[in-house]
Amino acid sequence: MVSKSQQLAERQIRRGASPYRRVEHRAAYLFLLPWFVGLIGITLIPLLASFVLSFTDFDVFNRPNFIGLENYEKLLTGDRRFDRSLMVTARYVGFSVPLILVFSLLIAVVLNRGLAGLAIYRSLFYIPSLIGASVGIGILWREVFGADGVFNEILARFGIEGMSWIANPSTALWTIIGLNVWTFGASMVIFLAALRQIPESYYEAASIDGANAWQRFWRITLPLITPVVLFNAVLLAIGSFQSFTQAFVVSGGAGGPVDSTLLYSLYLYQMGFQQLDMGYASAMAWLLLVLIAVLTALIFWSARYWVFYGDRN
Amino acid sequence: MNRRQFWRTSVSALAFVAIAATFNSATPALAEEAEIRFSWWGGPGRNDKTNQILELFEAENPGITVVRENSDWPGHWDRLTIQASAGNQPCTIQMQNRRLEPYASPNILRPLDDLVADGRLDVTGIAEPTLETGRGTDGNLYMIPTGVFYFAMMMNRSALEASGVEEPPIDWTWDDLAQLLREIEPTLPEGMDAAHNMGQEANTFVGWVQSHGHQMFEDNAVAFPSETVVEWFEFWEALRNEGLTNSAELMTEETNALMENSNISTGSVFITERPPNRLGGHQAVIDTVRPGDTLGIIPYPNGPAGSGMDVGTNGLSIGAGCEGAQLDAAVAWINFFTQDERAAAIYESDNGVVSVDRFQTAQAQGPNTSAPQREQIEVFARLAPDAKPVIWTGNSYGALQDSLYRNYQAVAFGLMSPEEAAEALIEEINDQLQ
Repeated sequence: MVSKSQQLAERQIRRGASPYRRVEHRAAYLFLLPWFVGLIGITLIPLLASFVLSFTDFDVFNRPNFIGLENYEKLLTGDRRFDRSLMVTARYVGFSVPLILVFSLLIAVVLNRGLAGLAIYRSLFYIPSLIGASVGIGILWREVFGADGVFNEILARFGIEGMSWIANPSTALWTIIGLNVWTFGASMVIFLAALRQIPESYYEAASIDGANAWQRFWRITLPLITPVVLFNAVLLAIGSFQSFTQAFVVSGGAGGPVDSTLLYSLYLYQMGFQQLDMGYASAMAWLLLVLIAVLTALIFWSARYWVFYGDRN
Repeated sequence: MNRRQFWRTSVSALAFVAIAATFNSATPALAEEAEIRFSWWGGPGRNDKTNQILELFEAENPGITVVRENSDWPGHWDRLTIQASAGNQPCTIQMQNRRLEPYASPNILRPLDDLVADGRLDVTGIAEPTLETGRGTDGNLYMIPTGVFYFAMMMNRSALEASGVEEPPIDWTWDDLAQLLREIEPTLPEGMDAAHNMGQEANTFVGWVQSHGHQMFEDNAVAFPSETVVEWFEFWEALRNEGLTNSAELMTEETNALMENSNISTGSVFITERPPNRLGGHQAVIDTVRPGDTLGIIPYPNGPAGSGMDVGTNGLSIGAGCEGAQLDAAVAWINFFTQDERAAAIYESDNGVVSVDRFQTAQAQGPNTSAPQREQIEVFARLAPDAKPVIWTGNSYGALQDSLYRNYQAVAFGLMSPEEAAEALIEEINDQLQ
């Protein structure tokens, strides 16, 4: 037998909420309003606008004219620098992401061994990821790896003759990859948190069975943190595809020498804000979105072969 | 406070802020008071001079406040593009005739013809051809030229004197340049290359093309043949291979060098190309690095068709939407900067030879003018009659600079042949112009 008060409560739940609840909801929406305004005004509308503009010849100052798929056609068939920027970005992402993953996992494993002053080390390693994308660090990098830079001074002490690492097409990209790898701190902190979640009893049992340190890492640690490896890999790949500041500052905005540091986003910027071809830049932005989506989908698809969730094969 | 009171108070506070903001935004419309923004490019030296002039101007116009927006050269244009795309460009903007065209539209810059015609903008002493460089392709005047600039070669005169090699005459040739480098190279101190490799420098390239009898652009396309570009690349490659220029890497590094780090200022090269209005700045740096060294200017070499020197103008524009009291303030500021004797003396042709004739004469002859600035004016006076001003359409200057850097660097690093690079250069520039 259902009481009247219960019936009333159920009816109110079906209708939505009590007057008090409705006021609460209104207040919540009101407080969320600035975020909604930001989402719609600064993200969604520009996103849609850039999609529309990608089919135009918009030059920033004048009214855009509809030109159909011309921008996309040119991108895919008639722009050598676009091809070069794709190659440079592929190399940048292809080397940066695995290097950061390996490096951050290595440091996390070392820090997870109960070192004294762990918080200090963690902070020290994390700091580069906070400042690595700044203009100041880009300028510092240029000075360190220039012809008269600190790096060459160190090499000179070992009798090695240096060069301008940022001004040579065969080494310039590597200095930027190095800068990206240096910002491994955020991935390291995530790995560290994952390592803390592995029960100590697994390692104790393995030790009793005679497993050595490498076997414990390879058979226990790595399989159990593969979901976090996946998470870090996706985040790093997306972030690396969008890298801009480091290449912009180190190359002085040109992506040189000889386009060797012309990352995708830097070329997009040049087209939009220096050559004032905003329609073309918009088409590039949408192609980048598709590229990142395809790559992310591929990573997720491959996850079924190497990510271990514990609750299923 | 209950919920209703809380919201009532919050809404009242918001309304008050909105009303206050409305009042605030209306303030500049008052006749006596106005706040205007002024954007310019330049390094610390020019910033100091500009600020000194602005302080003088504000002291004499107590109702006017000028908000300073300074940046380096590329940053100035990137920022202006973004500001203009949002209709948020400053009331007064430093402009250059090479960069004028993309902005030369009433939507972005205010046409100044009416202000000149009714005398509100004072252009006394600015020669008519100079004033004309401030016009857009639509015929409107968008810029009041304040300085006439040119590019030339800058050399370490002390190193030349020490070498015993004679200073070349003002009408020297490109072959004379190569010969000078060959003669001076063995005499230079350790660490000083004979020349900065100017194969990647757009201004020197213009001098080469025009001195070989070709125009730069015609009908929105490149007007010089690819053979001229191939010869240019080969000229500099020959010098580089002879060890007469800096390495390809050092040449590339110079692309982003500030004046303080530039190879002529630090004594790393004997000769390079620079705008002569920067002679004073470079001299100030080398005074600290290599005390006693003196820098000097020599024009670009002549070719079969004589001089190929381009001249351009820097000036001041008014942003579209600058009206009422702000327009009055902008006009007052431009007049002050252009026509006030003290302002001209402080600026001392820092961004090109001052365009007002009486100040030009005063600075050329005045005892207080610094030696580098006097040299800038004197060389200009001798070269100006033979100058061949380029008509820079659209983004042609940016396109040339960008493409020449890339393609000559490809040649210098052995990634392209001169012929391939020349073809690519012309194709890329034409692509951007059309």
